[in-house]
Amino acid sequence: MKEDTAKLSRRNFLKEGTILATGVAAAAALPAYDGLLFAAEAPGAKGKWYGIGIDINKCIGCGKCANACKEENNVPKDPFYFRSWVEQYTIKKDGEILVESPNGGINGFKQSVPDADIYKSFFVPKMCNHCAKSPCTQVCPVGATFETDEGIVLVDPNYCIGCRYCVQACPYGCRYIHPEKGTVDKCTLCFHRLKQGYQPACFEICPTEARVFGDLNDPGSKLNYFLKNHNCMVIKPHLNTGSKLNYNALTPEVR
Amino acid sequence: MEDHLQNLYEVLSKVDGYVYPNEIELNWSILIVLYPYITGLVAGAFILASLERIFKVKILKPTYGIALLTAFSFMLVATMPLVSHLGKPQRAYEIMITPHSSSAMAIFGFVYLWYLMVVLFLELWFDYRRDMVIWANETTGFKRFMYKVLSLGTTDISPKAVALDDKIGYIITVIGVPSAFLLHGYVGFIFGSIKANPWWSTVLMPVIFLFSAMVSGIALVMLVYIVLTKIRKQLIDMDCLDTIAKYLFYILLIDFALEGLDQIHRIYVAEESFEALHKLVFGKLFYSLFIFQGLLGTIVPILTLGTLQFYKPRPVIRKTIYTILGGLVLMGIFFMRWNVVIGGQLFSKSFYGYTSFKTSLIGIEGYGMAIIWLIVPFLILSFLLWLLPPWKKIETSHD
Amino acid sequence: MPQHLKRLIGVFVIFILFFLVMRQVLRPKSFGELGHFRADAIYENTLRPMHYAVADSCTKCHKDIRSDKDLGFHAKLKCEVCHGPALKHATFANKFKNKQLPDSLVLYKPGERKDCAVCHQRNAARIKITFDTINTTMIHQVDIMKHHPVDPKTNAALKCIDCHNPHQP
Repeated sequence: MKEDTAKLSRRNFLKEGTILATGVAAAAALPAYDGLLFAAEAPGAKGKWYGIGIDINKCIGCGKCANACKEENNVPKDPFYFRSWVEQYTIKKDGEILVESPNGGINGFKQSVPDADIYKSFFVPKMCNHCAKSPCTQVCPVGATFETDEGIVLVDPNYCIGCRYCVQACPYGCRYIHPEKGTVDKCTLCFHRLKQGYQPACFEICPTEARVFGDLNDPGSKLNYFLKNHNCMVIKPHLNTGSKLNYNALTPEVR
Repeated sequence: MEDHLQNLYEVLSKVDGYVYPNEIELNWSILIVLYPYITGLVAGAFILASLERIFKVKILKPTYGIALLTAFSFMLVATMPLVSHLGKPQRAYEIMITPHSSSAMAIFGFVYLWYLMVVLFLELWFDYRRDMVIWANETTGFKRFMYKVLSLGTTDISPKAVALDDKIGYIITVIGVPSAFLLHGYVGFIFGSIKANPWWSTVLMPVIFLFSAMVSGIALVMLVYIVLTKIRKQLIDMDCLDTIAKYLFYILLIDFALEGLDQIHRIYVAEESFEALHKLVFGKLFYSLFIFQGLLGTIVPILTLGTLQFYKPRPVIRKTIYTILGGLVLMGIFFMRWNVVIGGQLFSKSFYGYTSFKTSLIGIEGYGMAIIWLIVPFLILSFLLWLLPPWKKIETSHD
Repeated sequence: MPQHLKRLIGVFVIFILFFLVMRQVLRPKSFGELGHFRADAIYENTLRPMHYAVADSCTKCHKDIRSDKDLGFHAKLKCEVCHGPALKHATFANKFKNKQLPDSLVLYKPGERKDCAVCHQRNAARIKITFDTINTTMIHQVDIMKHHPVDPKTNAALKCIDCHNPHQP
C-alpha cells in the first residue's frame, strides 16, 4: 500500500511536472482559458453574447416560468407545445428514477411518492439551450433558423417550410411545430423583450431567482458571477452542442 | 386540426414513463416512412437495370426496360410524400433557391433532380428515341402526339445516330450507378447524421439504406415482371427470374449481415441509450421489427431463396414461391423503414419513456394519403408501359 | 453534333436558365446579408408585443400594496408572479380612474387554495429551498389538507387567504 502510494506520488510528480512544463510553454501561445468548458468561444464579435444559468437548488417548481412563457409568446395552451417547462425528478430509495412534468409544470406539482420512499427529489426547469454549435440550425435545409451575433437561436416563421428536421435534431426536445402556423416554434429568449431592454419573461417572473441570464462576454455580468461561484454543467455534454444553458447542481440523471 | 389534437390527447394518456412534452407528437409520420421506401425502390430498380447494361448480365434482358420504367414511375412520385408532409408545402421551392450547405436535407432537391432528369430521364430517352421516332409514324392521335413531343421532334434514326444514342446511354448508366448509390446512401445519411437520436445515429445507416433499397427494388421489379407476363399472357423467362432471385438472395444476405452488424454493435457497446432502446425493440417495435422485418421480411426469404439455389422445383412452383417472397421482402423493407422512422421517434431523447404513434385514416398525414402515394406510381407505370412498351422495342444489343 | 442532341441540350439549357432566373426572382431580399438566413427575420422577431411589464410598473400606482408587501415575506415577490401578465393593465388602467375597468384590463386575483399551493404545498423537492441568496428563510411548506382539512360533511374548505394576507403573509 505504502509502496503504491510512493509510486503513485512519483508518477504524479512526473505527470504534473510534464503538464507544468508543457503548460508554461503553451501559455505563451494560447489565450487564457475562459472557463466555459462546453460552450464554444464567442464568434469573434465584441458585443453581447447571451448565456443562461439555472440553479436547480433554488427552483421550487411553481411552474410560473412555463406559464409566463406561454402568456408572453402566445404558445398554444395544449400540453404538447412548450418553449419552457419544468420537470420534477424523484429518485426513490430503491433506485428508480421518476420524472414528471404534468402540463409542463404550469399547474404546479403534486408529490406522487411518499416521503419515506424518496432518496432525493428536485425540480429542473428546461428551455432552449441556445447552443453555440446548435444541431438544429445545422440541419435546417432552407436557412429558416439561425443564430444571431448575440448567441440567440431564432426561427424565421415567414421562411420555415415545416419539414421538422430541426425538431428531430434538437437533443433537448425544445422545438415543436406550431399547430396553426405549420412552422416550427421555439424559445427566442424573448428577443422582443431583450431588444427593449427587458429580461425574458421566464427570468422576470421567477420568484426565487433560480434563473440567471446575462452576457458571457462581460466578465462582470451576473451570469459570469453565477458560473464562477457554482459547479455548473450543461445537459448532454457528450453531444458537443455548445450549450449555453448552465445548471448549478446538475446530476447525471437529468437528461 | 381538432382531430389532430384529439389524437394527441389520446397519445398523452398512453405515454409510458416520461417524454419531453414536445415529443408527445410524432413529427415524422407515415409519409416520411414512404419517402425512403419509394426512393429505395427507385435506386434498387435502377441498379437491377444497370446489371444488364453495364455488368452485361444478358440473361436479365427481359427486365431491363421494366426496371427502368418502374424506377422512373416511382421517382416521379418520390417527392410527393415529402412535400405533402411539410407544414408549409407552398414554400417547398425554398429548398432549391436557398439550400443550406450544412444541412443533410438541403441538397435533396438537387440529388433528386440529378437522378430524375440526368440519369433516369436521359437513359430512357436515349434508349427509346429511335423507337419513339418509328412509333410516331405508325400511330395516330394522342400517342403520336406524345411520341413527337417526347422525341423532341427529332427524326434522325440513321445507324450512326442510333449508335451514338447507345453509347451515350451507356455512359449515363455508368454515371447512374454511383448516382443511385448516392441517392439512397444520402437518404440514409439524413437519418444517420442526427446525433441527438441514438436509434438513427450510426455510420452504417447510409449503407444499410442502400442495400435495403437494392433488396426492395429487385423484389419490386421481379413482381412487376411476373405480373406483367401474366397479364400479357406471355411465357415467363424462368432463367431470367431465377437470376433475379439469385441477386435478390445475395443482396438480402449482405443487407441482413449489415443490419445484424449494426445491432450487434449496439448491443456490445451498450451506450447510454441502450436500456431505452432495448425496451423499445422488445416492446413497441416487437412485431414490426422481429416478426415483419426480421422473420417474414428477411429470414424466411433468405432461407427459401438459399434452398432454391440448390434445389429447383418445377417452374410453376418456383414462380409462385418468387411471387410470395417478393411480396414478403417488399413488406419487410417497408417495415424496416417504419422501424427506423417511427421507431426513432417513439422513445424520448431523455430515455425515460415512450410515446405512441397514432394517425387518422383521412387527412394529409393519414394512412389514406400514404396509400394514394403507393398506388399512384403503379398508375404511372401502367401508363408508361402502355406508351413505351419495352417488348415492342427493336432489339438492341447494348454492347 | 447530331440534331437530336442539339435539341436535347437546348431543352436542358432552357430548364437550367429558368431555374437560375427563378432563383434570383424568388430569393428573399435580405437573404444572406448576415449569414444563411433572411436578415430581416432578426428585426421581425423583435416586433412581437410584450405581455409582462417590469417589476416597478405596478407599484407606481399601487403604493399602498407596496408598503404592505415590503414588510412581509413576499417583499421580493414580483406582482406578476401571482397576478399574471400586466403590461396592458399598467399601460391603460390609469385612463379608467374611478371608472369600471374593462374585462381585458382586469388582472387575475388568485385566492384559491391551488394558487398558494403551487409554491407552498409541501413537496419533498422544495422543503430545503431557501428564499434567495441574502435571506436564507425557507419557502414555507404546508400540507394544506392537514393544515385545514376539508369539512367532510359540508365539503367546505377555508381558503388560505381567509386567514393569511397574501401581500403580507
